[in-house]
Amino acid sequence: MKPKRQITNKSIVMTAIIGSLVIIAMVTANTIWSSRRTDSATSEAVSEVSSFYLEAMADHGAKTLTNLIGSNFEQMEKAVAFIAGEDVRTQDDLRHNIGMVKTLLNLNRFALVDDDNIVYTQYTTYTGRSRHSFLSEETLSDRIITTVSPYGSSKQLCLAIPTSELTLMGKHFKACFVLLDISDIVDLLALDDEGRTSFALYARNGGNLSDTELGPVISNHNFFDALKNVVPEDVWNENYANFQNEMHGSLTFASEGAEESLYYAPIPETDWELVVLIRESVIQNRIRDISKRTQRASENQIIFASTAILLLAASLLLMLRRFSKERLDEEKETSRTFQNMANTDAMTGVRNKFAYTENETAINEQIRSGEIQNLGVVVGDINGLKYVNDTQGHAAGDKLIKDACALICEYFKQGAVFRIGGDEFAVILQGKGYETMHETIDALNAKVERNIQENGVVVSIGHSHLNADDSQLRDVFERADQEMYERKKLLKEMGAKVRI
Amino acid sequence: MKIISRKSGILSVVLAALLALSACADAPVEDPKRTASDTGGHAMSAEQLKSAVNFDHELDSYVPKKDHYNFYFTYKTVHPWWDAVALGMEDAQRQFLDKGIRITYEYMAPEGASAEDQTQRLHDALSKDYDVIGVDVADDAIISPILDEMVDSGAKVMTFSSSDASEGCKRIAYVGNTHNYQDGADLTEALCEKLGYKGKVAILVGSVGAPCHEDRAAGAKDTIAKYPDMEIVATEYDNDSVDTAYDLTKKILADNPDLSGIICCNMSNPVGAARAVTELESDAVIVGMDHDEEALRYLNDGVIYCLGVQDCYSIGFDTICIAVKIADGNMPGELFPEKTNEITTVIYQEDAAQMLELLYGVVL
Repeated sequence: MKPKRQITNKSIVMTAIIGSLVIIAMVTANTIWSSRRTDSATSEAVSEVSSFYLEAMADHGAKTLTNLIGSNFEQMEKAVAFIAGEDVRTQDDLRHNIGMVKTLLNLNRFALVDDDNIVYTQYTTYTGRSRHSFLSEETLSDRIITTVSPYGSSKQLCLAIPTSELTLMGKHFKACFVLLDISDIVDLLALDDEGRTSFALYARNGGNLSDTELGPVISNHNFFDALKNVVPEDVWNENYANFQNEMHGSLTFASEGAEESLYYAPIPETDWELVVLIRESVIQNRIRDISKRTQRASENQIIFASTAILLLAASLLLMLRRFSKERLDEEKETSRTFQNMANTDAMTGVRNKFAYTENETAINEQIRSGEIQNLGVVVGDINGLKYVNDTQGHAAGDKLIKDACALICEYFKQGAVFRIGGDEFAVILQGKGYETMHETIDALNAKVERNIQENGVVVSIGHSHLNADDSQLRDVFERADQEMYERKKLLKEMGAKVRI
Repeated sequence: MKIISRKSGILSVVLAALLALSACADAPVEDPKRTASDTGGHAMSAEQLKSAVNFDHELDSYVPKKDHYNFYFTYKTVHPWWDAVALGMEDAQRQFLDKGIRITYEYMAPEGASAEDQTQRLHDALSKDYDVIGVDVADDAIISPILDEMVDSGAKVMTFSSSDASEGCKRIAYVGNTHNYQDGADLTEALCEKLGYKGKVAILVGSVGAPCHEDRAAGAKDTIAKYPDMEIVATEYDNDSVDTAYDLTKKILADNPDLSGIICCNMSNPVGAARAVTELESDAVIVGMDHDEEALRYLNDGVIYCLGVQDCYSIGFDTICIAVKIADGNMPGELFPEKTNEITTVIYQEDAAQMLELLYGVVL
């Protein structure tokens, strides 16, 4: 059978420290794992958010431009209807009315064109076939959307509609048109004034129409020329095909150590692709900042939790130690109490027969080992106890016992007094008690003899001391007991009550 | 208003070339004129190139006397070259409008250059109350007398763009190219140098009688005449039509397979010639005029050797400014010269990309 391991204060302390460290390590590891998981999840989220954000922006931008174009067409229809309803007889009248519709309908650079391709604006009348490519057509049957690159100017969007019903000043008019600066259109979309999001319009061949810069890689160059050596060939081909086929698409590429993401959406009827680009690091940095703040909070939490755990562990340890000490003391006290209770005679308060036997065993060991040379034993017996019990009752008998014990204890203050029977006492004397044994016995005997006359407590005592040939206490005791009987007889003769 | 003389323009080019050459200390210093083999020397700085066409104009301090002016302008033919002039006019018009002065005008031309058509237009304009009538002379021999009549009748007449009236015409002032002959000579000189001063060349001209075209052709012819090993095998007019220029070039090349060079005197000539040369894979060297986007692309590709780019924008802007002064009764003198010279800048392959970006926003 394995021996039981003893729980010591040291083991408790070690357990508390190791336990605390394990908890701290687990909390730290869990936090680091959570943090890394958050980082990874953040990166994934950034990509998804970027794509979603760009797609939404591009689609929104494309819709805005489509609405802008549609709105201009509607306004042009209204303008033509308005002018047709006016009494226009001269060129001045026409210029005045064109000025009015420009202002009222917010139509920038609105113009009418007659069948001779003469263009009428608010301030100018000019022959316009070479200037406006859509006028190369003899007649217009439908709305026309064209991109024009005027000499020395930014690229423009030209919107034209046929005006087959319009006749003014005796001339038939074939069309009206407006010109919109493409850079102004893109400016409408560019809400991010910090330049983190770029918008640009491209022709099907990747030519930049809006004169806007799309990040450091593409800048204001041809979209596909700029990306030629930046993205893999198959990706480049796929995106080129998307442009040709008026499709949506997206692209991600590295630029100056950061990732750039772009999304493009076709703008119906224009042969344009609206491209929105964002440096992913913008979103990433934002989220990373938040993540770092969270991480810092977690680190603080770890430090706080660790400190709290250590303090708690220390407090618990101290409490445990205190509690253990108290328990130990209590146990000692209890043990002492029980020991006392086991070794003490309940009536007299002196040690009992059990205690005498324990002492006897220990002394026998010392006798055998020669540790003790001087030892005396006094054996005492109460005279007349039975007589008192029989005549005065047990309470009187008990009182007699207590008085006898008190008498013995009074004289043998420097000895160990034991009640070893109902009316028997033994006193073991060592040291000083042994040295004064005879004087004490004489004094007690004198007192007892006086008590016979005074009807007091009478105790018969005999004594002996350890002889060289004694091997055990019992030898001494028996000689003392023998002497005690001799004395008892003597006291009887002197008038003391005796057991009959 | 920026008025740059031809001499100063050429001087700046020469100085730039000299500076470029001097930067190469070990290179032999040769004729500072730009040559095809001297590729590095042809490249102009961005500033030099920007000065070829000035888009940054501001009105001068002149205070117009009226708040509304109404002009009539007519030019040779409907063509992108005059559309560029129109943009300069519109810039001036906007700037006057910002000052509260409304300028209205007609800017009209026939589909093909025609002195008769121009005569009719001028008569019509005379019957209306225009403050100033401006003319890009279609044929100086026919139009100059008409302008004199108009002036005599009290009309305020000016000439503009690239063709002035005949010497002695009573028109009040001219704004535009005053050095067409020299432009033709300069381009031809560059061609001759490129060809080593020998070979057959053809001359493409625009409209018959158009002073600018004729003057350039004259300059070209006189230059070729200086070199005995050079021969003009054809002189053809395309009437400012690219398609005609293309057809004519193909015919000339068919007739002269060993043609070494083509001198183009207007804006449509070099485009048509370049298309034909490319198609027929000819080695003929093309020199020509103006800033057509397609021509600039051919220049960038090396199909055209050099182009003389006129500052059309400034022509248009200055025309409106001087028209206002003329309308107020001013005559040439302190306020404006009788002839306002606008520059021509010869550009080469190395300059083409920058010019395309400058004029058309094309980033190659």
